Amino acid sequence: MSHALRRLSRRRTAAWAILVLFVLITLLPFYWMLRISLSNNRTLFANPGSLMPTDFTFGAFKRVLGIATLAEATAEGGSGANIDFWRYLANSVVTSAVITVCQVFFSAMAAYAFARLRWPGREKVFFVFLTALMIPPIFTALPNFVTVKQLGLLNTYAGIVLPYLFMTPFAVFFLRQFFLNISREVEEAAIVDGAGHAHIFFRLIVPMSSAPIATISLLVYIGAWNEYFWPLLVGQENDVRVLTVALGIFRAQSPQAGPDWSGLMAATLLAALPVIALFTVFGRWIVNSIQFSGIK
Amino acid sequence: MRTSTERQSGTAEPRPGTSPPQSDTSAPRPRRRAGDLPVAMVFLLPAAVGFAVFYLWPALRTAYLSFTDYSLLAPPEWAGLDNYRRLLGDRLFWNALKVTVEYVVVNIGVQTIAALGLAVLMHRLTRSGLIRGVLLLPYLVANVVVALIWYTMLDAQLGIVNQALEWIGLDPVAFFGETSTAIPTIALVNVWRHVGYTALLIFAGLQAIPKTVYEAAATDGASEARMFWRITLPLLRPVLALVLVLTVIGSFQIFDTVAVTTKGGPINATRVIYYYIYEQAFQRFNFGYAAAVCVALFAILAGLALLQLKLLRAGDSDLD
Amino acid sequence: MRRITRLAAVATILPLALAGCGSGDDSGGGSGNAQAPEKTEISYWLWDSNQLPAYQACADAFHAANPEITVKISQFGWADYWTSLTTNLVSGNAPDVFTNHLNYYPEFAGKQQILPLDEFVAADGTKTDVYAPGLADLWVSADGKRYGLPKDFDTVAIFYNKKMLDDAGITEDQMKSLTWNPDDGGTYEKIIARLTVDKNGRRGDEPGFDKKNVKVYGLGLDENNGAGVGQQMWSMYALSTGWQFTDKNPWGTKFRYDDPRFQKTIAWWRGLIDKGYMPSLAIARSGTSVNDGFGAGKYALSTNGSWMINTYYGYDGVEVGTAPTPVGPSGKRATIYNGLADSIYAGTKHKDQAWRWVKYLASADCQKTVGDKAIVFPAIPEALTVAEEKFKAKGIDIGAFTVQIHENTTSLFPITDHASDIGAVMGPAIDAVLSFEAEPSSLTKANDEVNALFQ
Repeated sequence: MSHALRRLSRRRTAAWAILVLFVLITLLPFYWMLRISLSNNRTLFANPGSLMPTDFTFGAFKRVLGIATLAEATAEGGSGANIDFWRYLANSVVTSAVITVCQVFFSAMAAYAFARLRWPGREKVFFVFLTALMIPPIFTALPNFVTVKQLGLLNTYAGIVLPYLFMTPFAVFFLRQFFLNISREVEEAAIVDGAGHAHIFFRLIVPMSSAPIATISLLVYIGAWNEYFWPLLVGQENDVRVLTVALGIFRAQSPQAGPDWSGLMAATLLAALPVIALFTVFGRWIVNSIQFSGIK
Repeated sequence: MRTSTERQSGTAEPRPGTSPPQSDTSAPRPRRRAGDLPVAMVFLLPAAVGFAVFYLWPALRTAYLSFTDYSLLAPPEWAGLDNYRRLLGDRLFWNALKVTVEYVVVNIGVQTIAALGLAVLMHRLTRSGLIRGVLLLPYLVANVVVALIWYTMLDAQLGIVNQALEWIGLDPVAFFGETSTAIPTIALVNVWRHVGYTALLIFAGLQAIPKTVYEAAATDGASEARMFWRITLPLLRPVLALVLVLTVIGSFQIFDTVAVTTKGGPINATRVIYYYIYEQAFQRFNFGYAAAVCVALFAILAGLALLQLKLLRAGDSDLD
Repeated sequence: MRRITRLAAVATILPLALAGCGSGDDSGGGSGNAQAPEKTEISYWLWDSNQLPAYQACADAFHAANPEITVKISQFGWADYWTSLTTNLVSGNAPDVFTNHLNYYPEFAGKQQILPLDEFVAADGTKTDVYAPGLADLWVSADGKRYGLPKDFDTVAIFYNKKMLDDAGITEDQMKSLTWNPDDGGTYEKIIARLTVDKNGRRGDEPGFDKKNVKVYGLGLDENNGAGVGQQMWSMYALSTGWQFTDKNPWGTKFRYDDPRFQKTIAWWRGLIDKGYMPSLAIARSGTSVNDGFGAGKYALSTNGSWMINTYYGYDGVEVGTAPTPVGPSGKRATIYNGLADSIYAGTKHKDQAWRWVKYLASADCQKTVGDKAIVFPAIPEALTVAEEKFKAKGIDIGAFTVQIHENTTSLFPITDHASDIGAVMGPAIDAVLSFEAEPSSLTKANDEVNALFQ
């Protein structure tokens, strides 16, 4: 017995060791990003092997927040771009939030039709939806740009969110798979009680799938948050520019020049913070909402 | 192991007193057979509008352009099958396909196994939201930045990884620079970004498996390994199908990492298909030809997805 | 701590409640609905963020002189710039005026996307000979029409690490009188060898030099191979043999990558890798740029363009000097001479206003403003003088870059049709040679492929 226990605990130790290793590999590049973001761009390459920031400075963060003067920025190897950080942050929050709510909601409706309703041609239509995943964005960007331009929505929030608002094949597919897993009996009981489809969808399916819905919401939010090329095309104006587009200024601006490394890393870390905060709340919620498995 | 489909389970287990489950094979009440289609249309409407405007229309346009000679800046001219004929003889297209497949094999192979392991480890060991959060962190960082940070970290002369190799007495490796290591390196960099995310998807699937199943198996004295093969994997199938279909399709569209690091080189070692399409479309203005490559890629991916869905019977669940 | 993150999260989701689906269409709106009809706003695009302040200053000055015209500047990073520009051109939404590049303008001109400026030039009597010689001609297309007015130019020189030169016992004067030939590399190769140091501290020209374990390479290798142009990589060697890219320039239709002088040059160049004087292609491509390697003290010399001056001089702890490229078998130095210009979008609704802005950008006034920031070399000589002074004030002598203009040893950037197709052929072909997977003679086949594009 104690033998078996010891073996069990040794196994658990090994399992934990693997998990910790994964966590370390995940985190190390983040340490490196932090190190670079706290370094002076001009001294970065002179000390490639140093594990600490070179010539420690908060200058990069100041540049990202738009509170560094032109002279300060250029002295540390940054560009003198104007950055209205809080406005871009707000734009990112608004567009990502609208995209998340609408996309998840509409995709859930579609997923319900694909998973829980019976109608001729269902699988075929679903597969057609799925094929939308396979169209490279460079081929959708151009026609969509023309569409949005013709709708007169260039440089508006609506233009930025529109292509992502109704569905993505990913969200539909994801939710369908989870809806498929829900036991039929509960639904059938509700039908016997005379419940309509709206009732079943809102009162049964959605609450029972709260964990997957929370998961997909988070993933959609992150995806919307990181979207770069589309908002770059349709949202150049300062009023609607989102964070990723604005912080693109820290990438290489001319063909041979390198990026403003410190600024880029500081921008990346700062831009990730709001989503991390979101996850801190959502993550716990995902854990707390997995009760439905007992329903069966 | 029960492998009944939903549909069969409906007919196999009719319950007295309830209306027969919706089924195409049994004889349902006419009300239900005719009734679901209108409802389905209502539920599908918003998604269908988005699909038609932002996916279907661009796709049809691309398909049309693949039969034209189109330089983007001048109107397209009908060219019949020219682009497809050229495609068959294009050495670089086949090379791009080969390179992409190499990438996908390494990327998906490593990523799926690691993510599955990670998800199971998390599921069995800890409910810690912190660990899950940490593993998801790389996904919060944009593709381009992930590529750039690894690119500097792996530099042969200045990268910290090679500095570390030197400290432990190994020779530096030009990970991105050698034709032989460039593709695996790019594949592993993207594993780093996506493994936590993939694990989270699988983890969500694991959560949907009733605890009672494991408890019952544990009382029967089943080992962890046995539980994994006999319970976890089969019950995870719908989610695994989802993850595989999504990640394989996503993997074929590898672009950002190549665009900011190797740019297709050295020679043509990392000229993946999507990068090739981009070059043809936006740098060389052969938009019609790029559209044809795109259609070819689309056909390959659609075939692959269909195959995967069939093999994994994604529409079915063992949990019923 | 937890409360803070939670608060932040609430702040992040809060707008959900306020925003709701489908709203937001009422936001933004155009900015073009001006009250007075004669007031116009024209858009201007550029890619170099470092030059944004200078051009904003130009735009402000222009607006002060022309109160009815406002210039709105947008800046995109290099890669985004061209994809965005193309998308906007295709959808008829391109900026009224934009910075143009020699690689792209033949395509744009050929497809009638940019306006010929000849009528405006003739009507206003604008002088096109006020620029450094040759620059304005770069923007005259094969059909004789002018598509841009020059704004700046660039040449190539050698950047060196002063301390390494000192340690090797090489004087800066020696650097000014280097000679080169493709057979033994001349004094140039001798210096490169001398500047190379292995792990044991032995120099490249000393017996027992370990070429497998090099600490400092004499010459850096660019992370790009420059495809068919090799502007700051190999063109200054090849051109100094008397070789030219094409049968005529601009608008040549026959390339000469099959010329033995060219192939011998490439053979010599990659020979440096074999000798351990220059890093392998794999190392050069493995992560950071050649300039960062220079800044980290991994290279003693690095050839690069004048647009990189501030980058090279910006590394802390490295004292930098510049020297002109070596004198070749032709008895002359060589460098590519290249420049940017501003073009007007053919679909602009404000042709006249756009032209006035282009004319101002190409004027001595604006170019002096640009020169004052000491980032690039303005195309007008008197503005260049301003830049020269400002560079000098920063401790940078640009003589190594300008000497070739005074001595008339520059060669125009090869302007032809099919530039990007040529790049797609030559890039991998030169890669293959540099990585020793193909011989320099294989470039003859690549040359055939290139020339087939003109059939």
